[in-house]
Amino acid sequence: MSNVEKETPNITPPSKWVDLYGDYLYRFALSRLKNPEIASDCVQDTFLAGIKALDRFDGRLDIKYWLRGIMRNKIVDQIRKSIKTQTVDISKEDEALMESMWYKYSGIATTNPDPWEFNPRKQFDNKEFWVVFKECVETLKNPIKQAFILKMLEDQTTEEVCKVMDISPNYLWVLLHRAREQLKIVLKEKWLTIDS
Amino acid sequence: MLTCKQVSNSLNKKDYKDLSFVQRILLKFHVRCCLFCGKYNKQVMETQDMCRHFRENEDSIIESADSEISLNEDKKELLKEKIAQSMDC
Repeated sequence: MSNVEKETPNITPPSKWVDLYGDYLYRFALSRLKNPEIASDCVQDTFLAGIKALDRFDGRLDIKYWLRGIMRNKIVDQIRKSIKTQTVDISKEDEALMESMWYKYSGIATTNPDPWEFNPRKQFDNKEFWVVFKECVETLKNPIKQAFILKMLEDQTTEEVCKVMDISPNYLWVLLHRAREQLKIVLKEKWLTIDS
Repeated sequence: MLTCKQVSNSLNKKDYKDLSFVQRILLKFHVRCCLFCGKYNKQVMETQDMCRHFRENEDSIIESADSEISLNEDKKELLKEKIAQSMDC
């Protein structure tokens, strides 16, 4: 008896997925992909892949988070597709940074980066801060944004990101460095105006 | 003892919280003391902390703050149809 129960975890039928999880997944996709059409395609791909993989659903997670897990892969796929249609150019400035002495010998860009003007750690429990953080990530430009999303938010490995974006690990390092710098600037501007 | 390059390399590869206990202690010690890479790598670690916390908070933000963003009704109907189709086959 208990065996049978184990084999059939409590599954929300796929016919109800759109109403229950559609908006949630869509917002999630949109925050990563920006384009509404691509985001809704991504939701569709996620649902269809979810139906196919439903027999592997073990009920350990809520099905909503299980679907979100599938969506992670779909987001990476969508970014891979968009990279294929546009090549990632390396600017002279970025090239110089990769060739710089600091990077070659110690893996850093500068010994003296601009300091934070407020302590972000103190805001970690503040929900408002994360809303601003999300907006700031959305202001980043591609390919910096794509690199940041894949590596830092979707938690892909360096090798995976390099493969998806078709770039070298050195260039990924430059992109992440640029992302950190730009985030620091936008976060400072946005947060300090809200906070004051 | 770790070199600056080793510290930077492991920070490039993964979140420092995912390193082993010993590695983490060595890395933190280096970053705290190093005149060359200390300031820079401290900021790298701060960004990692930030992103980790953001991921933990993201769900609640997505569920509440953006409530005006949603799939439009036509798209929802289309999705339902597609789901029904793929359930049949």
